[in-house]
Amino acid sequence: MVEVVVEVKSLLKEYGSLRAVDNISFELYSGEVFALLGPNGAGKTTTVEILECIRPLTSGSATVFGYDVTKREDVKEIKKRIGVLPQDFSALDKLSVKENIDLIGGMYEKKLDTMEVIRLLDLEEKAKEKFETLSGGLKQRVGVAAALVNDPLLVFLDEPTTGLDPKARRDVWSVIENLKRMGKTVFLTTHYMEEAQRLADRIAIINKGKIAVIGSPPDLISQYGGRQVVVIRKADKKLAETLHEKYGGTILNHGGDVIVKVDDVKEMWQILSTLTSMKMDKEIDIQTPTIEDVFLKVVGGRITEEGELK
Amino acid sequence: MKRPLIIFIAVTKNWMRSKSGVFFSILFPVLLLLVFGAVFSGGGTATYTLFVQNLDRTTDGKPTNMTTFFVDALNSTETFNLRDVPPDVDATPYARDAVGPLGGNIRILIISKGFEEDLVNGTFKVRVGISYSTLNTTFQYFAPYLSNETLIATEQGIAQLGEYYTNMTERSASLTLIMDSSDQSAGIVKSIVMNVANAFNYRLIEAKNVIDFEEEPITGVRQFKAIDFYLPGIIAAFIMTNGIVGVTSNTTEFKRRGIIKRLSITPLAKVEWILGNILSQTLLNIMLTVIVIAIGWLVFGVQAIPDAISVVLIFLGSVMFSGIGMTLSGIIKDVEAASAVGNAIAFPMMFLSGTYWPIEFMPTYMQSFSRVLPLTYFSEGLRYAMIYKYSEGILTNMIIISALATAFIIVGSLVTRWKEK
Repeated sequence: MVEVVVEVKSLLKEYGSLRAVDNISFELYSGEVFALLGPNGAGKTTTVEILECIRPLTSGSATVFGYDVTKREDVKEIKKRIGVLPQDFSALDKLSVKENIDLIGGMYEKKLDTMEVIRLLDLEEKAKEKFETLSGGLKQRVGVAAALVNDPLLVFLDEPTTGLDPKARRDVWSVIENLKRMGKTVFLTTHYMEEAQRLADRIAIINKGKIAVIGSPPDLISQYGGRQVVVIRKADKKLAETLHEKYGGTILNHGGDVIVKVDDVKEMWQILSTLTSMKMDKEIDIQTPTIEDVFLKVVGGRITEEGELK
Repeated sequence: MKRPLIIFIAVTKNWMRSKSGVFFSILFPVLLLLVFGAVFSGGGTATYTLFVQNLDRTTDGKPTNMTTFFVDALNSTETFNLRDVPPDVDATPYARDAVGPLGGNIRILIISKGFEEDLVNGTFKVRVGISYSTLNTTFQYFAPYLSNETLIATEQGIAQLGEYYTNMTERSASLTLIMDSSDQSAGIVKSIVMNVANAFNYRLIEAKNVIDFEEEPITGVRQFKAIDFYLPGIIAAFIMTNGIVGVTSNTTEFKRRGIIKRLSITPLAKVEWILGNILSQTLLNIMLTVIVIAIGWLVFGVQAIPDAISVVLIFLGSVMFSGIGMTLSGIIKDVEAASAVGNAIAFPMMFLSGTYWPIEFMPTYMQSFSRVLPLTYFSEGLRYAMIYKYSEGILTNMIIISALATAFIIVGSLVTRWKEK
């Protein structure tokens, strides 16, 4: 039986008249990577901070490992069991990487050996360097190391790659993949579609405080992402007509590309066989729908690099 | 106690590795010490420029003898830099021109025409008056022993002398002192000139002092230099500034950067965070005190070295002001406002708490105000401990500081937010 690590029911968070989190419910299962995907201001960080016990909820309920986030004694138990990389993580500038991780580790009764965590995050060479001298990506890795130092069962990563360059972002992704391999349960918030799709076992798309959809990436894509597309580059009108006669729905786009939407893998293979029999030497591109298409479908917009809804 | 110690070590290390932070933390108290030490180390005496216009001249235009003696008497105080103003000019514009636009305040003493004559006549009347008074008193005492004839003759003689004294013209020599109302040294200059004039009066009537005046230090107090008396105030002032400005700014900066938020997600309790920071601040203050006293000893030879009880007071004072700093940082959200509010509280307090001058120098309503300022009790307690060794005063101030320290730690814990809204 799958263990429920986090259970959120009808969670509501209001700031005066603003409803930041609007009656959301979801569960988080042991060992999975769960991504809360949404634009800035969608309520991701508010939700996570309620679960981290540093922000009170307005109504509804939230439990972590069965402990209630609103009860003082339960909060102590939750804090022992979770690791957190907060949004815009920072540490004491003049302390070294090791000293900063030691500082966080020192707050727990039980903790891992700091050097072990440093090795895990591939930070050995930087262990003695001051935090202020590190690049953005390395600082995030220190943040993840600090989140792991108490050997938590559940790790919250709030926007772990925001503001990082592509290489640093990929480095953090590999760290998260490692966490998954280690069997940690990871609660990830992000506004990057690719990140959520690549890392998460399940994704909840959140916008304006409400969860729009929730499910595994393949399920969401198959349900909301639309059909796969075969694109034949620089093809002529005759090919378009031939394919249209056989499969229907074929269009010729402005640039001279022929685009065929397919319903399943079988149909795609049939098209590819047809093209092979015609001895076509055109460039063929197969496009699969992504979480971005899902997002576009359920929210009606795209998220910019900066996290804004467009 | 493990977590406050870890916070203490981390925050202290972080501060000690900040070269600019350490530099400016040391610079402020050392500058205070050097300024006060330079001003009060007794390396020179203050002199005041005084323009003197002598209008009492002989027919050939030379100053009369008495005025020359008077000016010499002023000169002998070694307090004045006397500058002569010709008798035929308007003294005020002359003095203004002489000092120039950046020359500061002008002070002019005008010796009136007829000074010598008025002085001689005035002195004669004083002498007659003294003679009449003396004879009258003696007569009253011996009257019962005198024969009737002698009594009547003496009584008539004294009465004639009294009548002569009464009929004498009242004359006194005149001096006029012209000074700017904004001149802060006006009181000192006026006092010295009046003292010289009084001494001149006594000398002319050949009066002698019948009251002896001697000065002795308080028993049991070591012979300190002037800078020693400022040292407790300097220590108290920088500990107060470090607490109210330093702790407030640093903690608000930690808050802005999310460091406090990160720690609040761990099992660390906010009272443990506050204790760790207060411990760090206390160590910093003790280190700075050692540095300030070492420099004071090397440069000015200060002798007011803190003893064990002073160290306890420094500890309690550090806790109290760090508690105030933690309270302010709990209330104030952004770093710029924290620094501004800290300075707005610290600087008036520094000057209104008897740190650099006695509270008694201030108007009564300000004295009442200074009694609600924590620095008053801290600097007073330190002064009692380091200079006067006044046990009752030390204990009273120590109790007040301990109570305030406890109160501010409690308030600091209450207003520090460990949860977002």
